[in-house]
Amino acid sequence: MAMTMKGEVELPADRETVWAKLNDPEVLKVCIPGCQSLEKTADNEMQAVAKVKVGPVSATFKGKVTLSDIDPPNGYRISGEGQGGIAGFAKGGARVALTSADVGTKLSYDVEAQVGGKIAQLGSRMIDGVAKKMADQFFSNFAEAVSPSATAI
Amino acid sequence: MPTVTMNVNGRQRSADIDPRTLLVQFLRENLRLTGTHVGCDTSQCGACVVHIDGEAVKACTTLALSCEGSNVLTIEGLANGNELHPMQEAFREHHGLQCGFCTPGMIMTAVDLVRRKGNNLDEKTIREELEGNLCRCTGYHNIVKAIAAGARNMSSMPQSKAAE
Amino acid sequence: MGATGIGAAIPRKEDHRFITGKGRYVDDINRPGQAYAYFLRSPHAHAKINRIDTSAAQNAPGVVEVYTGDDIAADKVGGLICGWLIHSKDGSPMNAGPHPALAQGKVRYVGDHVAVVIADTLAQARDAAEKIEVDYEVLPAVIDLANAQSGAQIHDVAPNNVVYDWHLGDKAATDKAFASAKHVTKLQLVNNRLVPNPMEPRAAVGEYEEGTDSLVLYTTSQNPHVARLVLSAFIGLAPEHKFRVIAPDVGGGFGSKIFIYAEETICVWAARKIRRPVKWNCDRTEAFLCDAHGRDHVTHAELATDAEGKITGLRVSTKANLGAYLSTFASSVPTYLYVPLLSGQYNIPAIYGEVMALYTNTAPVDAYRGAGRPEATFVIERIVEMAARELNMDPAEFRRKNFVTQFPHQTPVIMCYDTGDYDASLKKAQEIHDIAGFASRKAKSESQGKLRGLGYSAYIEACGIAPSAAVGSLGAGVGLWESAEVRVNPIGTVEILTGSHSHGQGHETTFAQLVSDRLGIPIDNVSIVHGDTDKVQMGMGTYGSRSGAVGMSAIFKALDKIEVKAKKVAAHVLEASEGDIEFKDGKFAVKGTDKNADWGTIALQAYIAHKFNGQELEPGLKESAFWDPTNFTFPAGVHICELEVDPATGSTTIEKWTAVDDFGNLINPMIVEGQVHGGIAQGVGQALLEGAIYNEDGQLITASFMDYCMPRAHDVPSYQVGMTTTPCPSNPLGIKGCGEAGAIASPPAVINALTNALGHENLQMPATPERVWKAAQGARLRMAAE
Repeated sequence: MAMTMKGEVELPADRETVWAKLNDPEVLKVCIPGCQSLEKTADNEMQAVAKVKVGPVSATFKGKVTLSDIDPPNGYRISGEGQGGIAGFAKGGARVALTSADVGTKLSYDVEAQVGGKIAQLGSRMIDGVAKKMADQFFSNFAEAVSPSATAI
Repeated sequence: MPTVTMNVNGRQRSADIDPRTLLVQFLRENLRLTGTHVGCDTSQCGACVVHIDGEAVKACTTLALSCEGSNVLTIEGLANGNELHPMQEAFREHHGLQCGFCTPGMIMTAVDLVRRKGNNLDEKTIREELEGNLCRCTGYHNIVKAIAAGARNMSSMPQSKAAE
Repeated sequence: MGATGIGAAIPRKEDHRFITGKGRYVDDINRPGQAYAYFLRSPHAHAKINRIDTSAAQNAPGVVEVYTGDDIAADKVGGLICGWLIHSKDGSPMNAGPHPALAQGKVRYVGDHVAVVIADTLAQARDAAEKIEVDYEVLPAVIDLANAQSGAQIHDVAPNNVVYDWHLGDKAATDKAFASAKHVTKLQLVNNRLVPNPMEPRAAVGEYEEGTDSLVLYTTSQNPHVARLVLSAFIGLAPEHKFRVIAPDVGGGFGSKIFIYAEETICVWAARKIRRPVKWNCDRTEAFLCDAHGRDHVTHAELATDAEGKITGLRVSTKANLGAYLSTFASSVPTYLYVPLLSGQYNIPAIYGEVMALYTNTAPVDAYRGAGRPEATFVIERIVEMAARELNMDPAEFRRKNFVTQFPHQTPVIMCYDTGDYDASLKKAQEIHDIAGFASRKAKSESQGKLRGLGYSAYIEACGIAPSAAVGSLGAGVGLWESAEVRVNPIGTVEILTGSHSHGQGHETTFAQLVSDRLGIPIDNVSIVHGDTDKVQMGMGTYGSRSGAVGMSAIFKALDKIEVKAKKVAAHVLEASEGDIEFKDGKFAVKGTDKNADWGTIALQAYIAHKFNGQELEPGLKESAFWDPTNFTFPAGVHICELEVDPATGSTTIEKWTAVDDFGNLINPMIVEGQVHGGIAQGVGQALLEGAIYNEDGQLITASFMDYCMPRAHDVPSYQVGMTTTPCPSNPLGIKGCGEAGAIASPPAVINALTNALGHENLQMPATPERVWKAAQGARLRMAAE
């Protein structure tokens, strides 16, 4: 089930701050909806566990998250592949680009994702909606994380 | 494990169950009432239809715990002793079944349909009301005939039994 | 025996248990101490398995064992087999890749079996399956038939993913017919992939009896003896005398329960490993993924006609999708069950068919109600209809002009039609349907902005399947006879043991009707025993509309023997010579006297054996017979579909359906009509609603009843069913078979009606509202302009 999604979001922080947060596992962990753990295992590699519900299928995905094409502070490619046990698998990547805006930073993203197994069989009609909702949630969490009032994270 | 108690086919039944137990599992596995069938996993086929407090419900999407204190009627409890319910008799008379797997759900749905829509059911109404029940064998032709006939014959039943 | 005998439309004997919830299906069977199996399935269509880590699952609560492909390899469990060997054009045998019951090194479709967890409860097995870690290396998936030959190779033995490249017929003669044709009609079509979906999902309970070192398998099978034969002789689980297979009440099959699958194999194998019964119940999503699918052809066909509108040749080229592995009878379906039926009801001097069968990363494809014959009928009935339209001839008249009228008729593609009267069925269908009134009904629809169309389908099928020697010469690995045993009890009641299996067809009634008729005894004194290899000696099972024509013929033959023996007993009892004994209406009488004895008396005398010398005449009354047919049977008929299309929404409503079938003699017309109804609904499902869709990655996106559109009550009409009769000459009862006719006849009737309504031929199945709406736009513009 290849699914693609593009978007951009304005963040109330400068590019360097945004870039730093984008590379901070603690921040990502808080922002990724359903994320239960996210641990750095090597440079540019993390191990993640996230709980996701798509339609009638609820699954805990475990997998590796890799950062590539790293170009500080302009952007990177984040990709991951998770095994959801009997629910199937999810994999995908996002190209994330940062540009300076009038106020703060513009983050644009270009996502491609695939799911397979039960999650594709029973949840295929919901997958686009779920992905958009998760992206929205991530960026609203992320915007909060980078906002000056939240620098304590 | 919590305990659930309900009246099934006129008998008080009680069991300690895992909270995620579905009514259909409770009926089939705890009570060994295997006439209620499981034909799908998305609540689409209707093979599991039973009556809870007189209304048709899909037992595959009902938690057994939610039936605490309810009156549950399954296909096994529909006949009056050896005397078949008119809807059962109509399915037999009109060859409204082949493999028999969807049949308990069909009959329970049909009895509920009569309760809701009365004894004179036209073909269009019956076909629309069977939206929640799948049959792969009969092409529905004889099920529709059976339900129309069964509905008519139910008019001569005592009111209390017909309402079940 | 009028009231309950042959030809009586009596209610079914088996119904009482089904309408009271007392049926006994496999999932209703629970054995003491049973554990539950849950299969971990591949989420990928095509991948190498680098590693499977089952350690966490092994240690999970309630888990008894976790097995993978390594375990079955270590135990030398044989692979699943395909029992029909097809040879390619060049004489080479088909390329059959290995089909292990649990994947070994590679998975080849979404749903492929990776591991099995066996635990005390199903919930524990499922929870533990979550803990199995599989390292997959994903490979490119081959999904589309069009690209299958150039895609990644699925099996080492099958270059370009070709299973076989097969043909039948005289190519030179056919090409010659086309060279001299006045007109050639061309048709490109897709026969959409279907999921059989009997309402009862598959299930199995495997059991090991330690004391006797024997296996028992309760399974949802249409042919338990064949299952035992394959599991025993090929997969090697236990010899047949140590292996009992029981198929109790089975909730529909439609072909999908003929086959021997991985799950049933694993259950019975694992039961011996863990010394506990193992139960598996398929959920519906698994059924969508792993039950053998049906159809899935892409076909190009051409029909040659001469100046008089006579068909002179037919040329057909088909690509058939057989999925990721060869299922039990997969190879026979697009070959010998397909091309030999392409002659339809027509006299076609030259036919050539070629079939390229391909592997793809999808579920295995095998026989589904009709099996090959619906695909053939769709080709011939669509192209004949189109040819008539192109030649400006009435479609019924064009058919009539080309009907076979002399019997026996040898087609150019194997079949020898023994009897039939195709025009009689066409005439009767036209009368019942009120063809004359169609024009005014159409005008009325048009006045309401609707398009009305009418479509014919004059189908033929080859049933019974068939003389064993004949199918053997075509590559079948088994003979296709049937067996029966008649056991008369001392008080005269009768048990019939049959190798046929009833999973909705009503054998407990129709077979008893035959016995009641023949022996003159009440139908309640007859019971039918089937579905248990320990009770019934042998059998080939139920498929191909064969239980009447072949299964009942075996019973008939055994009853012949019973009658001969009973007459011998009666001769002693009545002190007459055997030649003077007449048997009629349940009474044995001495010709020309008033001396007689009833059936029960003779049965008792056979067992007490006081009246005859046990050395000269064996006591007892029990006979068995095997019936091997001498030909296929050829049910045929005409279906007419009349429907209305709303061009604004693309919705199609079937307004009127007429079916006139010639099934030979009927045992129970009510049951026969029920078979027709059900078949039509499945065919309408194929034509308008159903389609199994894989996306480009090989994910089945129609894997539930939410997305795979099964016909519901409001999708289909009531049907008008009529019969004509030409008794079948190749069996003693004159039966042809009725189980598949509806599904074979109906898809082209629907599409012919739709294309008639829309005014053009470009419409593929399933003709969903979206497709019909698009196709209707031209017609809509025409209507607006008028």
